[in-house]
Amino acid sequence: MDALGDPTRRRIFELLQSGPRAVGELAGELPVSRPAVSQHLRVLKEAGLVTERREGTRRIYRLDPDGLGELRAYFDKFWTTALESFEAAVERKGEEKQ
Amino acid sequence: MSTQETGLVIQKSAVVAASPEKAFEVFTEGIATWWPIETHSIQAMDKEAGAPETVIFETGPSGRVYERMTSGEEAHWANVLVWEPPTRLVLEWKVNPDAIAPTEIEVRFTPEGEGTRVDLEHRGFEALGKDAEEGHQSYSQGWPKVFQDFIETVGK
Repeated sequence: MDALGDPTRRRIFELLQSGPRAVGELAGELPVSRPAVSQHLRVLKEAGLVTERREGTRRIYRLDPDGLGELRAYFDKFWTTALESFEAAVERKGEEKQ
Repeated sequence: MSTQETGLVIQKSAVVAASPEKAFEVFTEGIATWWPIETHSIQAMDKEAGAPETVIFETGPSGRVYERMTSGEEAHWANVLVWEPPTRLVLEWKVNPDAIAPTEIEVRFTPEGEGTRVDLEHRGFEALGKDAEEGHQSYSQGWPKVFQDFIETVGK
C-alpha cells in the first residue's frame, strides 16, 4: 500500500497540512472530480494519514497526528532511492575527472 | 537506527568513493545530477506537466534549493540553515508554501577509508500533523518558534 505514491494523494496530503478541509474544498483546488477526491481520501484514511469527522452534511478531513507512519515509510523509501542515485552521480563525477 | 521520542526520524547512510569535498559538492552544487525530478518535484505533481527543467542548489550559508519549471517559473524547496563544507549541511525543507511547518534535513560527510560516509537525517514530520485541527495560529506559538529566525520557503 503506497498511499503517498500517487501525485494527487500527495497533493491532498499537502493541502491538509495547512488545516482541515471539506471534500468540496479539496476538489476545488485539484484537477480531479469530487468522487475521485473522496476515493483518494479513503485511501489516505485507510493508511492512517488522515481522519474524518462529520459536520452536518459535510465531511471534514484533517491530518492524523498519530498516523504519520506511512509518511515516514514514504520518505524512507525515497531517500534510499535518492542516495543510490547520489552514489552513482559521485561515481560518474570521479570518472570524468580521470 | 536511533530514534527520537516520536520515532519520526529517518536516517540513511551511504559510502561513496570520493573525498568529503567531492561528495559535498555533488550533493549540493551537483544536485541536478542525482535528484529524481521526474518523480519528485513540484511540476511533476501534475503528471501531464512532467519533469521541470532542473533543480538548482544555490550554495553558501544563505543558500537555497529551488526548481526551475519548464515555464521559467521558480518553485522554492529549501533554505540552507547550516553550511559547513565539507562536513555538514542542514536544510529547512518546505515544498508546500501552505504547510504548517517545514521539516529538516541534516547531512554529514565523514572520511571513511578511501571514501566518504554520508549520513542523512530527515526529521520534524511530527510537526506536520500536530495541531492541524487547531489551525495555524496555535501552531505558530509552539514548535515552529525554533525556526522563527529562518525564512519560510518550499520544496520536494
